[in-house]
Amino acid sequence: MSVVALALAPTTTRAAKNQPSLRFLRPPGALPEEEFLSRCIHCGQCGEACPNRCIKYFGLENGLTSIDTPYIIPREKACILCMKCGDICPTGAIQKVKVELEDILDKVHMGTAVVDKQLCLSWQGKSCGVCYRACKLPDVAIRVGYMEQPHVLENCIGCGLCERSCIQIPQAIKILPRKT
Amino acid sequence: MTPIKPFFLWKHLNKLRWVTLSVVFSMLIFLPYAHLYQTYEAAHAYDLLADSEKQIYDTMETITSPFINDPEEDLDAIKGNTWSGTFFGLQLSDPLAVIGQIFSSLTFYTPFLLTALIPIAFTLVFGRFFCGWICPATFIYELNTNFSAWLRRAGLKTGNRRFDRRVKYLVLGTGLVLSAFSGSVVVASVYPPAIVGREIYYSIALGGFGAGSIFFVGTLMFDLLVARRGFCRYLCPGGALYSILGRFRIFRIQRIVENCNDCEKCNAICEFGLDPLRDSFGQECNNCTACIAICPTDALTFKVQISDAPDKGPGHLGRQYSKNKVGIIEAAA
Repeated sequence: MSVVALALAPTTTRAAKNQPSLRFLRPPGALPEEEFLSRCIHCGQCGEACPNRCIKYFGLENGLTSIDTPYIIPREKACILCMKCGDICPTGAIQKVKVELEDILDKVHMGTAVVDKQLCLSWQGKSCGVCYRACKLPDVAIRVGYMEQPHVLENCIGCGLCERSCIQIPQAIKILPRKT
Repeated sequence: MTPIKPFFLWKHLNKLRWVTLSVVFSMLIFLPYAHLYQTYEAAHAYDLLADSEKQIYDTMETITSPFINDPEEDLDAIKGNTWSGTFFGLQLSDPLAVIGQIFSSLTFYTPFLLTALIPIAFTLVFGRFFCGWICPATFIYELNTNFSAWLRRAGLKTGNRRFDRRVKYLVLGTGLVLSAFSGSVVVASVYPPAIVGREIYYSIALGGFGAGSIFFVGTLMFDLLVARRGFCRYLCPGGALYSILGRFRIFRIQRIVENCNDCEKCNAICEFGLDPLRDSFGQECNNCTACIAICPTDALTFKVQISDAPDKGPGHLGRQYSKNKVGIIEAAA
């Protein structure tokens, strides 16, 4: 129904495009947003290759240009960095990335994790550390200190597994998508 | 004089066409389920699946287990849809996807250009064959045509207007220009085969139809209420591109004037509103062979030539056509 409502209310759609209130990630290895949109042919193969079924597709909620383009909402289901979407993408909108640390750090820029210390259990004195254990790149992207307090490092690529696994509601660690 | 008989197989190609259409369409339904099966397999948690998911898992396991060992890897062989797909490592794309991407990104990305090479080569030889033989939207549109025939038989009025066929070239041009200005392949959102492939996937694997389904239902309504098979005939951007590419196709359906009795069944059956009776196929013909199948006197056949024969006049078996030519044209229109 929401799709119909958005189709009937173009102002809403335009607002969503100009001031993206939607917090979504593009699949791993995706080119910068402008270039990604111009390359993507909306074929849907990335979602069909994703073994985690984390890739979903836009309706009209992010504007007409990104209709049927892939996105990931990490809190619902996060990317496990298998890089199958890049392998199958015919257009190079999602680059081919080898499942190796250097290549991933080089090409994957989905976003960066940000810790809300007011919400984080570890920062509030109850040792938790779930985000650190969920991370695919421990000690490269995220490091824990005293009481397993998470510190996000600059190598974080924003796959969202920490946000997915955070036991707080709302989540204390969030991915800020790359804004380009 | 012994009458010229066309090769006997041409008459049965229409059945083969329905087989390929059905296979393509059922693959589009099968692949999302195969993907679901893969994700369940990858999760290694059969016991945690819901009952409906277990049903899908068991069914897919039964279907695929004779052919594959490791569903997670082996089912990756066939992915995608007719807009762009992967077939055992071979990536194939619709020519419209390639042209659209060239316009939207204003660059040439060679690996992607190469994926359209095989479809383009086939189109140069067989013309607009995609529209009649593969397109998953055609499958639904032709059933829709039959449905409208039932409605007519029940006494209801369905649309039978005619427009200028060149409108679709305008749609193609507009779509490409809009793609260039918006920086996104928007032409994909008004191209039924791409929409059908995606929407089937959304409805099965992502739990609901997307925005494109509204557009597609709109085209079905247009076909039903305004013009018979109107979207393909007058509006489809991909059909326009295939028509241009297939203009000098090598395999053409041609009329054998000696066998023709001017019964005009070919004109009535032609989904694209062409005029086989007066040798006018043009670049629009999609070689669907429905006219060959219905011809009662075997007067239509395939010929290898790069242009249509000029109007050969009335069929040698017929009588009415020469007497009242204008009247028949009026009846056809």
